[in-house]
Amino acid sequence: MYTLLNVNKKFGDNVVLKNVSLDVNQGDVVAILGPSGSGKTTLLRCAGYLTKADSGTLIMDDQQYDMKKISSRALRNYRRKVGFVFQTFNLYGNKTALGNVTLGLRVSQKMPKEQAEAIGKELLERVGLADRMDYYPSKLSGGQQQRVAIARALATNPEVVLFDEPTSALDPELTGEVLTVIKQLADEGRTMIVVTHEMEFARKVATRVVFMEDGEIVEENTAKEFFENPQKERTKEFIYKSTTWASVNQKDEEAAEALPQGE
Amino acid sequence: MSERILTELAESFGKLFMVGLKVSIPLTLAAFSTGLMIAFLVALVQITKIPVLKQLMRIYVWIIRGTPMIVQLFVVYFGLPNIGIRFSSFVSAWIVMSLSVGAYCSETVRAAIQSVPIGQLEACYCDGLSFWQAMIHVIVPQALRTAFPPLSNSIIGLVKDTSLAYNVALVEILATAQRIASRTYDYFWLYLEAGLIYLIFCSVLTVVQRKTEAWLERRR
Ligand SMILES: Nc1ncnc2c1ncn2[C@@H]1O[C@H](COP(=O)(O)OP(=O)(O)OP(=O)(O)O)[C@@H](O)[C@H]1O
Ligand SMILES: [Mg+2]
Repeated sequence: MYTLLNVNKKFGDNVVLKNVSLDVNQGDVVAILGPSGSGKTTLLRCAGYLTKADSGTLIMDDQQYDMKKISSRALRNYRRKVGFVFQTFNLYGNKTALGNVTLGLRVSQKMPKEQAEAIGKELLERVGLADRMDYYPSKLSGGQQQRVAIARALATNPEVVLFDEPTSALDPELTGEVLTVIKQLADEGRTMIVVTHEMEFARKVATRVVFMEDGEIVEENTAKEFFENPQKERTKEFIYKSTTWASVNQKDEEAAEALPQGE
Repeated sequence: MSERILTELAESFGKLFMVGLKVSIPLTLAAFSTGLMIAFLVALVQITKIPVLKQLMRIYVWIIRGTPMIVQLFVVYFGLPNIGIRFSSFVSAWIVMSLSVGAYCSETVRAAIQSVPIGQLEACYCDGLSFWQAMIHVIVPQALRTAFPPLSNSIIGLVKDTSLAYNVALVEILATAQRIASRTYDYFWLYLEAGLIYLIFCSVLTVVQRKTEAWLERRR
């Protein structure tokens, strides 16, 4: 349903993505794991057309998009179908929570104000921020900001939402509320690709896990198989290290606690 | 101070004030808005690093900052007619002052635009906005907020700079005071009064600046 095909990317001499392909089915929640510098963010940014790939193709709804070169019309059409959530939220500082969610609808889609605001309000309610619609980002906590950012990414009701480490910039006690929202989207059947370091989240929410290293997908499996029965030595080592690390790390513990209790 | 001088000053106050409202302030506003647009374009060229244009902008800023405004005024008003280009006093002053604002404020505007995190521009793209739509709706409003204090300082400086246009035969506040004084010989009092008029205009602007800053502060 959503396919990345043969994505290549170099930064100077540094080969960051080596012919990466990824096939995502409707309703899949794909967690991308991997050590720092393995190219996870770059892959996601290429898929969001924020970084130009050297080569690669995106396939969605029988439409093909060249990842290196795209017309602005095709790009607008593509972006309506794909939402992006950043590690650093990137909310618009001059807009309220509601204004953040509706800006794309109003400006890019030329949607009338009332209609856009109705959609915005509904989305903010869904991420639990009905009482914060008129707040500016600087008056919101990190967790609240990221939830607004998620609502914003959902404004066009995209077919796929891409998340780049959505909780990495948050204080440990705030990751739970964001992961809960993402889990809720997963339960609703939203197709998502989530780059994350939260092992518990990947284990509990993802349907599939992709493990990247040095710009390549090393292993790919259902979440259950990936954790219970990893194939590659490198993957076993990574899971072992991350989970032992997590057991002494409060951040992951709290995230793990927060998840099953999601509304 | 005699009664005669008092009556004279009372009369001339109205005249000077009206000239300020009708000439100096419009000139200030016209030059400032044009200059700000120039500053914005120069800043964008610097940020996006457009090759040749970037060098040209550098040269422009270098020339404007390195020469006195009064020399620039003379070149435009008295010099250009030699090669067949004629501008009125007002238009000459407008051109020169706009170019000056453009050069002096471009750095301020550039820094202010770059102070808005690049991630917000990327978020705009993901929202389907074009570069210009992102500029208009997200980046520039925040950049102007950052640049507001230094920019309002330059607008206040600009009010005072309009007096330089006296030298290219613009009938502004100073020229009007000069004309009245040349009849009555009360140069001392009339020039003091001209100064007072500038002081009033600048004070009003300072108050507006403070109010606006407080208002902007509440909206973030
Ligand atoms: N804009 C850039 N210019 C040059 N090199 C870059 C740029 N962005 C990323 N890289 C390089 O590409 C490689 C992959 O980076 P990337 O950010 O995709 O890794 P990551 O898997 O997301 O890591 P992390 O887990 O730390 O976020 C790194 O070697 C990085 O230094
Ligand atoms: Mg990353």
